[in-house]
Amino acid sequence: MGLLSNSLNLTGVIFLTHAVYSAYEHSLLTSSSSSSSSSGEITSLPLDITIETLLSLLVLCTGIVIGAPSLRPIQWAVWASSVEKEDHVSLEQRRALVEEKVRAGGTVGNPFAVLDQRNGFLDIRAKRREFADWVREGGAAK
Amino acid sequence: MIDERELAINPIVQDSVRHNAQTLSNIRALTASLFGVGAGILGLESYPGFAFYLLGTFVVSSLIYLLRVAPESQSTGSKDGANLYFYRPMMDLWVGDSVGNMMGFVLTWTLFYGLVRA
Repeated sequence: MGLLSNSLNLTGVIFLTHAVYSAYEHSLLTSSSSSSSSSGEITSLPLDITIETLLSLLVLCTGIVIGAPSLRPIQWAVWASSVEKEDHVSLEQRRALVEEKVRAGGTVGNPFAVLDQRNGFLDIRAKRREFADWVREGGAAK
Repeated sequence: MIDERELAINPIVQDSVRHNAQTLSNIRALTASLFGVGAGILGLESYPGFAFYLLGTFVVSSLIYLLRVAPESQSTGSKDGANLYFYRPMMDLWVGDSVGNMMGFVLTWTLFYGLVRA
């Protein structure tokens, strides 16, 4: 996606610059060769410059649209299901996903994950037994 | 139509709405200045220039719909297309803030008209 949009943008900018320069040279040429009125030169822009301008604009617009960050669903149900699905992908995919989202400036992952995943209660009896064993063994650090 | 009860049943994610609007306005601002460059090169004056801008805005909207909205809504399996990404598709996607971006268009239009036809 990124490479395609960048190459499209680069191509469009090059051709648009060329079209601007060609139009400038053309108007300079016609105004110096024949001292006609300025209204005549507007219609006399060569067809190839016109086509180049329009095509480069189309290429640039396509590149900009392709390169834009992806849209997000606004309906809560659709959005939440997509967020839930992101929780069940492999680590590699997840890493790529997070990278893409951070670049687009959005929130990452399920915002309600903190409600779903909580640490269990501390088993204080087991901890006390461990400590008692440790004291019985002499209290030396292992 | 815009009903509080309807919104309570099908809530809207404000974060996504903001993100979509910002993405679209970035695209529009960029392309509006580019269309100004084009209109300046072509030497359009008065009404044809504004018609060029409106045509370009429509082309960009169609590109957004064809390249971004349609494939992504198809991949999620829903059929309502632009409704998936925009609260009011007609206003947000097709009409948008074209009047606001027209200022940027006129700016580059006059600049390049003056540059080319010096």
